[in-house]
Amino acid sequence: MATEFHNLQELRQSASLVTKVFVQRDYSEGTICRFQNKFPSELDNRIERTLLEETVKTLNSYYVEAEKIGGQSYLEGCLACATAYIVFLCLETRYEKVLKKISGYIQEQNEKIYAPRGLLLTDPVERGMRVLEISVFEDRGSGSSSPSSSMSSTGGSAR
Amino acid sequence: MPGFSGGGVGGGVGVPASAPPRPFRPSRYVPVSAATTFLVGSTTLFFCFTCPWLSEYLSSVIPIYIAVIFLFTLANFCMATFMDPGVFPRAEEDEDKEDDFRAPLYKTVDIKGIQVRMKWCSTCRFYRPPRCSHCSVCDNCVEDFDHHCPWVNNCIGRRNYRHFFLFLLSLTTHIVNVFGFGLVYVLHHRQQLDTPHAAVTMAVMCVAGLFFVPVAGLTGFHIVLVARGRTTNEQVTGKFRGGVNPFTNGCMRNICHVLCSSQAPRYMGRWRSSHAMDVQPPFLRPHLTEAQLEAKVLDNGIQNDRHSTRSKSSLDQMESQSADAEPPPPPKPELRYPGLPRADTEESSLLTEAPTTPSMYKYRPPYNSPGRNHTALTHPSKMIRGESLDSPSPSILQSSRQPSYRSEPSSLDGTTVVGGGVGARRGGVERGEGPGGPGGTAGVMPGGMSGYSLTGRSYTSYPSSLVLSTGGSRSSSLRSAHPAHNPLATLQSEGTTDTSYKSLANQTPRNGSLSYDSLLTPSESPEFESAAHELSPQKPRAPFHSATITGQPEVVSPSSPLQGYTSPFLSAQIAQQREGQLLQGSATFSSPHRAYLRAVSPPPPSSSGHPEIQYLLQHNQDSSSRAPRNLSSSSTSPGARSLEPPVSPPPRGLSLGKSQSYVGEAGPQHKPRAGGGIVLGGGGAGGGQQAPQRTTHLHIHLSSVLTPNPPPLPFPPLSHGCPIRSTSRPVLANHTPSKPGGGVKKVTGVGGTTYEISV
Repeated sequence: MATEFHNLQELRQSASLVTKVFVQRDYSEGTICRFQNKFPSELDNRIERTLLEETVKTLNSYYVEAEKIGGQSYLEGCLACATAYIVFLCLETRYEKVLKKISGYIQEQNEKIYAPRGLLLTDPVERGMRVLEISVFEDRGSGSSSPSSSMSSTGGSAR
Repeated sequence: MPGFSGGGVGGGVGVPASAPPRPFRPSRYVPVSAATTFLVGSTTLFFCFTCPWLSEYLSSVIPIYIAVIFLFTLANFCMATFMDPGVFPRAEEDEDKEDDFRAPLYKTVDIKGIQVRMKWCSTCRFYRPPRCSHCSVCDNCVEDFDHHCPWVNNCIGRRNYRHFFLFLLSLTTHIVNVFGFGLVYVLHHRQQLDTPHAAVTMAVMCVAGLFFVPVAGLTGFHIVLVARGRTTNEQVTGKFRGGVNPFTNGCMRNICHVLCSSQAPRYMGRWRSSHAMDVQPPFLRPHLTEAQLEAKVLDNGIQNDRHSTRSKSSLDQMESQSADAEPPPPPKPELRYPGLPRADTEESSLLTEAPTTPSMYKYRPPYNSPGRNHTALTHPSKMIRGESLDSPSPSILQSSRQPSYRSEPSSLDGTTVVGGGVGARRGGVERGEGPGGPGGTAGVMPGGMSGYSLTGRSYTSYPSSLVLSTGGSRSSSLRSAHPAHNPLATLQSEGTTDTSYKSLANQTPRNGSLSYDSLLTPSESPEFESAAHELSPQKPRAPFHSATITGQPEVVSPSSPLQGYTSPFLSAQIAQQREGQLLQGSATFSSPHRAYLRAVSPPPPSSSGHPEIQYLLQHNQDSSSRAPRNLSSSSTSPGARSLEPPVSPPPRGLSLGKSQSYVGEAGPQHKPRAGGGIVLGGGGAGGGQQAPQRTTHLHIHLSSVLTPNPPPLPFPPLSHGCPIRSTSRPVLANHTPSKPGGGVKKVTGVGGTTYEISV
């Protein structure tokens, strides 16, 4: 299985995964999806505080939009009920649409902000929306990533 | 079959980090098969035997209606059965690294003011989010876990609860429909009950009637749950019995959430976007601006909130300056005094990530995975960062980068953090001294002032040469009678100086000065007290300034000798600190004060100074760099102990040398006597309020200064620094009327150190 999923870190010749920083969920408002805006201290010298806070804030707003109970979600439910949920095969739910937006946003953030700083955001949905994973890379010359990280990333990618 | 989430099909393909393949257990499928059989079978029979007559006799709408309800029931049944309830994927090993072997079993989180416990799931390797539970049948953690329903052979969780609830509602309705219309049929065919149609209808009615009671009961139960915003798990385990449910938003909102919210996404088996992310060095790093560096320097992360906020805000804006401008700091010796709570909390807070629940502290089963290596990676890195913070300049930068560490170095070496907070005070004192300096002595004061500042700096890990050079520049600036802010500016320009000064100022404990004064020189005590008061609030005050400034020429001049005093002071400080710790282990004024007192009482032997100083110096991180200097200095002037003979203010270098020698003498003698100027410097470096270590440094500094002086003479310490004393005399005369003899002005610094500025 490991050979099938070569993660990017393994292929990197000059950057290797050092550690992963996790931004935890903020449960102060209940079980709605929200991430803590606390800046992890490990990233103090890697990225400006405002950038990460902005990213987390935007993600939180996306999740609020996804979980919003309004007209669109109600109509979606009615339509699904009416069609015995066959419509789910054809249409994308609101949540899925927003998740796609989030994925695109994270991709863009990675390209613009995080990858130049040796960081990589992982979409929280891949971790069950429990954490926002930030992989920290270091310039290690031609060293490859450690087996543990490759295993973990392999495991992650194999999902 | 139902139970996609890792059922008998196996968890291999497309289900990574999930439940391993489980053996095929047919017994699991009995209830669901039975339920399916009963539902579909009965309804089919009903449609075949009863509905034709119904459509004829009553209306054709009825069978359509029943069919719709039945389809709805079936759809929800299938969704409840086959839909992923919200299974959490197993956490990867990297995520587990944060949790040490001693991580607690529970993690408490605050939800709308109510403490909710998150339990560690050993199977899934994460702390279960609120309302999440691990299903033993499915061997998965399920989000918003309701229950495991055997009739659908699936967990009911966040994603499929709505379907399950609708299934129950529709099934109840369907049962009622079937039973009702069957009854109509039977009642109309009372005389033809032996016909197969009637018999089948009656059989279907029996089945319907049989299932109606439990299904209706379950439906009613779930209607109540939905209205209350609870899950079956919470209701059955009695979590909110008599308590408040933090997950409820009101009856209407709860119902809306169940019925109208958008379908939650599944976490398992998602299509992973294979975006190739090119992460290649060189990596950008956030830069620190000059202002941010200065803010960090001035920022005493421990005590001065104003400064700390300023530095944090400046940290937010930092963009330009490289953080690696400074040379690497010397390694920070590990000084973890038990009596220093601040240092302990700093480090412990840095190293501990998971909050502990006092009542339920349990070991989590360690996870033997390579991911554990990350712990080693992270923690040592943290330690390294902390250690690197010791150096004056790099530490400042690093402290800015890692605010959590900021107080650590300051506490340990009295430089970084102290500098921040003390900066203000230091500025104040300096300001006070400024006018006094130029006013006090034309030539000496500047030297004294610079010496003073140097003294403060000397507590930082700056090399003596550097201090000397800065002192020289400082004195020149002072000679020109610059406004008070100039020395401050010069001080600020050298971060460590500020820090050391801050520590000096911080180290003025009221108690310490009191006790010392009462012990040695009652007349001086008010003086010291005032000085202490002025210093301890860490605000520049006129009286203090006057008191200190009076000896300004002396204060300043002692600065150079003060510099030399650093090591012995520090060593003495350490000794006193340890004494204080033995006494009560608190890093507040009391301990240094006590040690201070004790040091005062016995006349310290001066002969034992050198080895003692050496020992103390070696153990004092701050003095590590100064140790050789001090030793050498002490060796140079053996006879410089007595402050009695007034020494004409020598050039700064000379005074420094002399002070060094004096310090060497004074160091071993842990008398709390503070040589005026020395004391000041020591006090500044001590920064007692902010960091116990700093306090102790100052304290030792002061005490060591005092030791050479005979107890009855409050000013003898000043005699150590001949230049100091001579210079301080006029100052003392102005500000310390109670000083006899050599006109040594005593100033009580933070941490119980008393400065004696010989006038």
